[in-house]
Amino acid sequence: MSNLLNSFITELRRGTLTLAVLSQLRVPQYGYSLVQILEKSNIVIDQSTLYPLLRRLEKQDLVVSSWDTTESRPRKYYVLSEYGKEILEQLMKEWEKTSRELYILLKGEEGDAPN
Amino acid sequence: MHLIDIYIQEVTRRLPEKNQDIALELRSTIEDMLPENYTELDVKEILTKLGNPVTLASGYLDRPMHLIGPIYFDAYVTLLKMILPIMTVIVLVIVSIENILSFKGNEAIIDILLDIMGEGIWGVINAAIQTFFWITLVFAVLERTDISKESVSLNTGFKKWTPDDLKEIPVISKKRKISNVEIFGSIVMIAIFTVVYFNAVHLVGVYENVQGELQFVTPFFNQEVLQSYWFIVVLAIVVEMFLVFYKFMGGQWTKKVAILNLIRNIVSTIVCIIIFTNSHLINENFITYFEELFNITMDIKGPFMVGIILLFVVFAVIDVIQGFRKAYTKG
Repeated sequence: MSNLLNSFITELRRGTLTLAVLSQLRVPQYGYSLVQILEKSNIVIDQSTLYPLLRRLEKQDLVVSSWDTTESRPRKYYVLSEYGKEILEQLMKEWEKTSRELYILLKGEEGDAPN
Repeated sequence: MHLIDIYIQEVTRRLPEKNQDIALELRSTIEDMLPENYTELDVKEILTKLGNPVTLASGYLDRPMHLIGPIYFDAYVTLLKMILPIMTVIVLVIVSIENILSFKGNEAIIDILLDIMGEGIWGVINAAIQTFFWITLVFAVLERTDISKESVSLNTGFKKWTPDDLKEIPVISKKRKISNVEIFGSIVMIAIFTVVYFNAVHLVGVYENVQGELQFVTPFFNQEVLQSYWFIVVLAIVVEMFLVFYKFMGGQWTKKVAILNLIRNIVSTIVCIIIFTNSHLINENFITYFEELFNITMDIKGPFMVGIILLFVVFAVIDVIQGFRKAYTKG
């Protein structure tokens, strides 16, 4: 029973993952810093999912990466590209719309919808 | 340190050669996660968080982690189901023909039948494995090379499904359905009949137990008479094969199938009557043997042949009627 519930929750969250990651890349982040930010917001992300996801986003031209070798340890930083910013804007609108619709659907009355 | 190296190696060796960058980033990330002056326990904890290197590597790869995905699976299974029975039949027919052609005339009947059965089973297994392998290979390659990546299941024609596809599917009712077992049975029967008919001189007759060994004493039929009718027999076999093929393609009893069934029965009955009204059909040696065995003198030819013809006609009529009944079944 709880297994089934868990798989539903995982599925629900999987779709929002890209949005969560993109939203934090307005400023350059490296892999682990991103994990920490997301964890602080209580967003659990499998690390074996996150690092490949960053690579994929780069391949899709949504983010650009660069190695920073000025510090003691070289780190790969990711930041949104112009195209990535556009996509993020649209995704955010879509998310707000979806969550509003779903909220109405779940509550059953329009009046309670958040703005 | 050691564990980290092995972990990174376990990930990168599953990736294409040039991905040195992933190794560097992975190492930097792992070091980020570790506290200062870390112990092996810390390393283990971090690596647990990163998870199985196989999973991580597959995340980096865009290649599918399955042989044949949901897009092709249905077309794959449908093709297999279609081709495997056809292969089986072809192999059985080839094996039978080979054995008939290589027949020297001095082998025992059992040996021939066992040969056909043994070679047939072996051949079918062989052909099935080959067919399975090549079809699977083709689909596995397709799965990996198709860049269009339609997210929907494709039909056997490798096109996107449209409602028009439905028009091409015959509506098969359960009562009129012709099972593949029936088709298969018919083909096996035709093959056996062909083998037996053209080798009746070695197969059909009287067997005697001589010193523990089964020996063929005398054939039942006069082979020259049987051979002289080869043309109409082959014609009847072709008609039979055509009906089987037609049934296989249609998949159900229809008025057309029933009419074809009627024609087939008329043809085979006529052939049967022609052959069994030949007074030289039965081997003289056999009659002598029979008369000596039972110590009687009687003309068995006449009643026997009439009996066979009557039996044949009765079965043909029943078969024709059943064909029409199935074709006109409602539902």
